Amino acid sequence: MRLNKIILSFVSALIILFSTSVASFAKVVGDKIILGAAISLTGKYSSNGVHTQNGYNMAVDRINSMGGVKVGGKTYKFDIIYYDDESNPKRAAQLAERLISQDGVEFMLGPYSSGLTKAIAPVTEKYGVPMVEANGASRSLFTKGYKYLFAVLAPANLYLDVAIETAVELNGGKPVRIAQAFEQDAFSQDVRLGILDAAERTGSKIIIDDKLPKELNDMAATLVKVKQMKPDVLVVSGHTKGALTAIRQIAEMKVDVPMLAMTHCDAAKLSKQHGKNSQYALCASQWHKSLTYKDDFFKDGMTYAADFEKEFGYDPPYQSAESSAALLVFKDAFERANSFDQKKVRDALAATNMQTFYGNIKFAPGGQNVDKPMVLFQVMCDASGSCENKVVAPLKWASAKLIHPIPKWSER
Amino acid sequence: MNKNFILYAAILIFGLAAPFLFPAFKVQLSILCVLIVLATTWNIQGGEMGYNSFGNILFYGLGMYLCASVQVGMFFPLAEWTESGGEKTFVHTPTQFFQGMAVGLVVAAVVPTIVAGLIGYSILGLRGHYFAICTLGLGVAAGEISGGIEIIGAGQGFTTPPFPNVGSLEARGEFFYFLSFFTLVLTFIAVRSIYSTRFKLILNAIRDNEDKAEAMGIETMKYKIIGWMISAFFCGLAGGIMGGLVGYIDSTDVAFDGREMGVFMVLMAILGGKGTLWGPIIGATIFHIFKEGFWTFFLGWQYVALGVLIVVIVIYFPEGIMGWLREKYPERFGEVVDEKDRKAQVELK
Repeated sequence: MRLNKIILSFVSALIILFSTSVASFAKVVGDKIILGAAISLTGKYSSNGVHTQNGYNMAVDRINSMGGVKVGGKTYKFDIIYYDDESNPKRAAQLAERLISQDGVEFMLGPYSSGLTKAIAPVTEKYGVPMVEANGASRSLFTKGYKYLFAVLAPANLYLDVAIETAVELNGGKPVRIAQAFEQDAFSQDVRLGILDAAERTGSKIIIDDKLPKELNDMAATLVKVKQMKPDVLVVSGHTKGALTAIRQIAEMKVDVPMLAMTHCDAAKLSKQHGKNSQYALCASQWHKSLTYKDDFFKDGMTYAADFEKEFGYDPPYQSAESSAALLVFKDAFERANSFDQKKVRDALAATNMQTFYGNIKFAPGGQNVDKPMVLFQVMCDASGSCENKVVAPLKWASAKLIHPIPKWSER
Repeated sequence: MNKNFILYAAILIFGLAAPFLFPAFKVQLSILCVLIVLATTWNIQGGEMGYNSFGNILFYGLGMYLCASVQVGMFFPLAEWTESGGEKTFVHTPTQFFQGMAVGLVVAAVVPTIVAGLIGYSILGLRGHYFAICTLGLGVAAGEISGGIEIIGAGQGFTTPPFPNVGSLEARGEFFYFLSFFTLVLTFIAVRSIYSTRFKLILNAIRDNEDKAEAMGIETMKYKIIGWMISAFFCGLAGGIMGGLVGYIDSTDVAFDGREMGVFMVLMAILGGKGTLWGPIIGATIFHIFKEGFWTFFLGWQYVALGVLIVVIVIYFPEGIMGWLREKYPERFGEVVDEKDRKAQVELK
């Protein structure tokens, strides 16, 4: 019965392996505050995952080099344990569990995307681990009664409803005809809900309402319909891939539509990747570098953008900015709580009321940031073909006037 | 027999003590149990019957959605629970949670079994690559379709009921661990006992030469369907547990996760040695340990590392670990196999 011996020794080897690999991290080691984060380094959200990670790292370096976090008269430095969640909610929930129960992390930073945040929130909630997240905007996150979830961003349903209202306004207050296509994921579907609300409010009609697959690289079917039915507004949302696919195919198929509203234009580096083809696209954004918010660490949006570009070699999308802001929120909360007790830190987070370079931050009881409006920018190109994102709404920060309607392809 | 008994007792005791010995690894251990169930049941088709099914993920996903839907639907309006902008918060009492889970798991096991019977009846006539491609389509289609059904959350996903506040913080992990461990034990006992009957020989006959098997008077279709239904039963159960464990169901990434779970179950069975009882179990365990290790130590490169592992397996262990052991120690292994063979023959008579 050698087989049994082999299996028995295999089982005992397993026991040894498990027992020796118990990690010995803790929330605060020496002068370090260790935060945990599951980030999409691979998979469909990998580009945004990297934006998020860069944002976190940038803020960690900055806060550490500018004196760190002062708690109980001692100075601490931030450190982050990262895992790759592969853009997969199942993996993300598992990693949250692992960060908390194996690595002993007591404070978490959010992952990228609403779906993954939805998967992680029940875990952090169960363990009472405060999580400041910067990339989960789905409204359903804030109606579950979570006590330990704090989002520095505005909920997803507010992303594009301004665009619909603007379109109605430009139409002389008359309702518009809307075509929309959204990816089948928590975030985009929530943007859709926002549009539905706005349509109802303004009496506008939705004439095309398509769903896009998760592996988004073709939306020609929707665009053919758009060509036929000539809506006043076309709304597309599907993370980075959605934005890239929409612009590529609209340009290829020469689809004329007076207003094109999207999300994730800056994360997709649209103006760089597609140049003039992306011109006139109207994009919802949590943040833009030209906004006039200020803080002590990054000064203002312009400085942040310049520093970010120096370090990572590209213009920061709002995903990076909001991620950096999450650490500023944590620092502020630790110092006000003057303790590492999770309950005290949670209460301090709930009482947050501050301004960062990214915007004002103040949490509603549900955990969403209610003190920061969304902005809309439009991709604008000059004659030489270099394109830039310019804020067009709200008027307080507008650096350019909205170009409407979009000129036809035949006239460009 | 005596030694076998010691082995089983040792594994059982290890299984029961594991969550207390390694409290931090409860989730990984639960997932390991689920992986073993998936690999073992896949082996019924892929290993014993020679039908490479990529469709078992269908039953896993069905079980997941069904269990969660029943658990919610028994006590609250399901449509309001999954509505994305839903403002209402529903909370299960502990009794409701466990009652719902129990009924949910029964449904999660039974319905996929029936579905397997129906689908099996229509597609198990296909052979070889045609069957593989067809089942691959099943999983993909199910993912896309479920992503459009509003009542189960569509693209928004489905948050399963949170574990009620009973006992300590560890209660949830322990509950799901024991649930998955007992499912594993149940699966093992079921599979082991059917492998000791004529049923396994029939499956092997189908694998080795289906036409001849039919010519010998075996109703191959019947046995193929029954085999698939057995797999579906346990896959559904595993799916139901996994849904509760993860806490969030997404149509293509968690439930009908053909790219991950669907492929992994095949990989694990092949790694351990398909067509053996212990192969899938060993394969799943090794695979899971390596995978977790790669995730920790090769962050960002884990799939490259996993790919290298697969290449190494294919080159050096083409017959799986059990096959390799058999080749390496034929006399030791041969003895076991012969003895089993002899016993099986005696039992048949």
